[in-house]
Amino acid sequence: MTPVPTSPGGTARSRVRGGPAVPHPRARPRSRGAAAWTPWLYLAPALVVLGALLVYPVGQLGLISLLEYTQAQVSGGEPTSFRGVGNYAELFADAQFWQVLLATVGFAAACVVSTLAVGCALAVLLTRVRAVPRLALMLAALGAWATPAVTGSTVWLLLFDPDFGPVNRVLGLGDHSWTYGRYSAFFLVLLEVVWCSFPFVMVTVYAGIRAVPSEVLEAAALDGASQWRIWRSVLAPMLRPILVVVTIQSIIWDFKVFTQIYVMTGGGGIAGQNLVLNVYAYQKAFAASEYSLGSAIGVVMLVILLAITLVYLRLLRAQGEEL
Amino acid sequence: MNSTGFRRRPRRPRRLAAEASALVIAAVVAFPLYWMVLSAVRPAGEIESAEARPWTLAPTLDSFRRVLGQQEFGRYFLNSVVVACAVVIASALIAFLAATAVTRFRFRFRTTLLIMFLIAQMVPVEALTIPLFFLMRDAGQLNTLGALILPHIAFSLPFAIWMLRGFVKAVPESLEEAAQLDGASRSRFLWQILFPLVLPGLVATSVFSFISTWNDFLFAKSFIISDTSRSTLPMALLVFFKPEEPDWGGVMAASTVMTIPVLVFFVLVQRRLVSGLGGAVKE
Amino acid sequence: MKLAARLVAPMAALALAGLTACAPGTSDNSSATKDDRTGTLRLWLFREVSNEPKEKVVDKVVAAFEKAHDGAKVKVEYIPVETRAERMKAAFNDPKSAPDVIEYGNTDTAGYVKDGGLADVTTEFNGWADSKDSDPTARTSVTVDGKVYGAPFFVGVRALYYRTDVFDELGLEPPKTLDELTTAAQRIRAARPELYGLVVGGAYTYGAMPFVWANGGEIAEGRGGSYASTIDSDAARKGIETYTSLFGDDNCPAAKCAGMGGNDTVTAFAAGKAGMAIGGDFSHAAVEAGKVKGKYAVVPLPGVKSGSVAPAFAGGNNIGVLKSSTHRTLAVDLMKGLASKRTQGALFDAMGFLPTYTDVRAEAAKKEPFIEPFVKTLSSGTKFVPVSPAWAQIDASLVLPTMFQEVVSGKKDVDEASEDAADRMNDAFSSVG
Repeated sequence: MTPVPTSPGGTARSRVRGGPAVPHPRARPRSRGAAAWTPWLYLAPALVVLGALLVYPVGQLGLISLLEYTQAQVSGGEPTSFRGVGNYAELFADAQFWQVLLATVGFAAACVVSTLAVGCALAVLLTRVRAVPRLALMLAALGAWATPAVTGSTVWLLLFDPDFGPVNRVLGLGDHSWTYGRYSAFFLVLLEVVWCSFPFVMVTVYAGIRAVPSEVLEAAALDGASQWRIWRSVLAPMLRPILVVVTIQSIIWDFKVFTQIYVMTGGGGIAGQNLVLNVYAYQKAFAASEYSLGSAIGVVMLVILLAITLVYLRLLRAQGEEL
Repeated sequence: MNSTGFRRRPRRPRRLAAEASALVIAAVVAFPLYWMVLSAVRPAGEIESAEARPWTLAPTLDSFRRVLGQQEFGRYFLNSVVVACAVVIASALIAFLAATAVTRFRFRFRTTLLIMFLIAQMVPVEALTIPLFFLMRDAGQLNTLGALILPHIAFSLPFAIWMLRGFVKAVPESLEEAAQLDGASRSRFLWQILFPLVLPGLVATSVFSFISTWNDFLFAKSFIISDTSRSTLPMALLVFFKPEEPDWGGVMAASTVMTIPVLVFFVLVQRRLVSGLGGAVKE
Repeated sequence: MKLAARLVAPMAALALAGLTACAPGTSDNSSATKDDRTGTLRLWLFREVSNEPKEKVVDKVVAAFEKAHDGAKVKVEYIPVETRAERMKAAFNDPKSAPDVIEYGNTDTAGYVKDGGLADVTTEFNGWADSKDSDPTARTSVTVDGKVYGAPFFVGVRALYYRTDVFDELGLEPPKTLDELTTAAQRIRAARPELYGLVVGGAYTYGAMPFVWANGGEIAEGRGGSYASTIDSDAARKGIETYTSLFGDDNCPAAKCAGMGGNDTVTAFAAGKAGMAIGGDFSHAAVEAGKVKGKYAVVPLPGVKSGSVAPAFAGGNNIGVLKSSTHRTLAVDLMKGLASKRTQGALFDAMGFLPTYTDVRAEAAKKEPFIEPFVKTLSSGTKFVPVSPAWAQIDASLVLPTMFQEVVSGKKDVDEASEDAADRMNDAFSSVG
């Protein structure tokens, strides 16, 4: 497939041995006569695709959020009319919205932290075992990752079912219901979310650790540093570019979690106690084709996530990390 | 992968403990998958039996028969493969070029662009489906596989570009200088030197686009409207979710059938994935 | 590269579309002016898990139709029920992809009409001999503001499943009133604590509503767009009270039952975990496949007074013609063929779908005694959800399940919960104008 020697990790590792082991703080600017339009040429295909299929729809989203736009308008049954910030006012006036927003932020934060913790811990574990257990764990994780979300949620629900599930039997919990209490239901969903999203973190971070020059780790080990210290002061800083990507992705995914909540808590839990923003948007807007309200919720989500991402990147930059 | 001569060799008992826990964790992680397959081979009515036995005495392939016996199932499978492969290849190529641009060049709006790439992922997809629908309609792509391929390329690009940045960065600039001294043109360098070097990274990111495309329900049911022969595999799974009378055996069997090709894809690229992703760490 | 070449054209078209279109998309979905008597008709039907028997019946109808109409062809597509929402919206937005004739869930009628999708077939329906025997609720389910938008295809209705062995063992008789139902449920639970007496679900709207209806309550009253919720009326509250009192350690513990939906309760019954359950005629197969096979019977769910039947929700599907069809006359004929007495009789034999005609149903009950209690339930009068486009939103935002769950979990009392539910419904009703 490739004409290049592919001794695993060969290129990356050999380069690092010769080069600086610590990430270089600044990518070198390139001018050397490169025509200014060259990067744009390279970017052109991506920009065309993203412009047409992402920027344009997102722009439409903003526009729709200011209109009265339901299926009746879409089908041409009724004229489209301008509502200004009416949809936003409607949204912000709904006490439930704020409650749901708070729950979403809390739940997403818990999911992100747990996923990253489990993923990173297992990545470190992977580096300390031989091929067979490693392959076993890797395949199990990949299987979890590949399972369609709706099936994964159903299976977890079956496993924790008070009447028919094996988990209560093994734990001796009798017919304890996991989905009745608010936090217990959130916890169950969190388990499933972690189950299906940690593999992404684990595989990525594991690959990152493999690329760290072994001398660095050996030196640290000789100093008698504990596993936690090695992670904290050697690995984590070196893995930062990878951790940035997985963290941002996890935030985005977990903030938008839908299927797991929808399936596992029966559309938002007992009396709506487990609603998160995406499920709320579905119930309030999309199921009834209230696209303008749904778009307003979408814009709000976009703003929140963008703010979180920017703050996060700003923090990184403060630590000398360059995008 | 084993040739690293690896870090501090943990003392034997510690390594054994680590390996034992790895195996236990693997078993725990795999258990829901096992339960899925088990539920697929259980005879009707046994999925919900009060005993919750982790095995079945009368395995049956009935559920698989219901899945595979669906009208045009092979067609759906083929469509899924075509869509997933097209997305993987196209997004890898486009992302490679874009990642090179944002890594090897400095220009105005570079950072802005990088963040812009992420934005669409932050919006609920349902909200984007409507504008996308009209776009696809006006472009005459509705009811064709293109209506699935194009949006999926767009949705896998941002992540692919972000990941590939690290891999492109890892290729020493001196290599490019040397190539230039040898008189290689820019495009020659790009395709004959840089491309093969970041290929492992491309394989790695393609796994992500493969899964998200393969498992997509929403676009598949919104953009393939009137021509069911263009449907993809998830549609064969949805048949079993009838609101009042879901067929869990069928759901589990269909999911198993859907998961297997992904696992095969994984096993094929696994070595490359692990060695490839490592490049992303380098500056 | 071939792929690249194939992607370039659409990409360019997309870029163009992105440049030219500024206003959000709409579609011209006015009724078609053409009425071709030849050509291909597109028919969408729901795909069932075992679809073959249905296909056979439909193929016969189609063959007869094509024979009767020279030059007309029918292309049948079977779509998963789960995808109907997206597909129907898409079909309304792109008449080119739209079918001519569709099968649709009867609770979707008002929404589809409001979305401008279904054609008014009042004249044809009323002039059709078969329609005279259509039962009144089935007719309601195709009617919006006095106009008919399709023909009923089949109905689904719920009744009381009970365990004959448990009843015999405890010397119980099938309950004749709702009070007796509660007593029987509690006696079963007391004698057999591993069983739910009557398994109920906080999210099982259509299992709960008969209790409200039996007490004289209604979800909402009014016509067309101007519905007003009456779920907080005294009569409705009494029904809510009765239903929610069934959640408790003496019948069905709230911790386990509050989250259950209809399917969960049927599953519990089929697995032998309950003395009684409210299940549909369509649940028969699932129960037969379970542990209780041969140990259960079905009676209509009793009402408040002895001998009465609690009104059940008449679910089911209809056949409709799309407004955008350019073959209106042919499409209506095809609709009639599919919803005719003959086809419905054949579909009952093949799939167990309950016919919407009283006479065909009576005949079916003779052939299959197990549907008799369902037919009886149907003939004693059934209810339907408000025929308002707001219903889609009320249904999706789980207004009624939330109300029941708030009471069951002790978050609110019946008065407060029903008042809040009424408010939310009225919001929805008024938002659709």
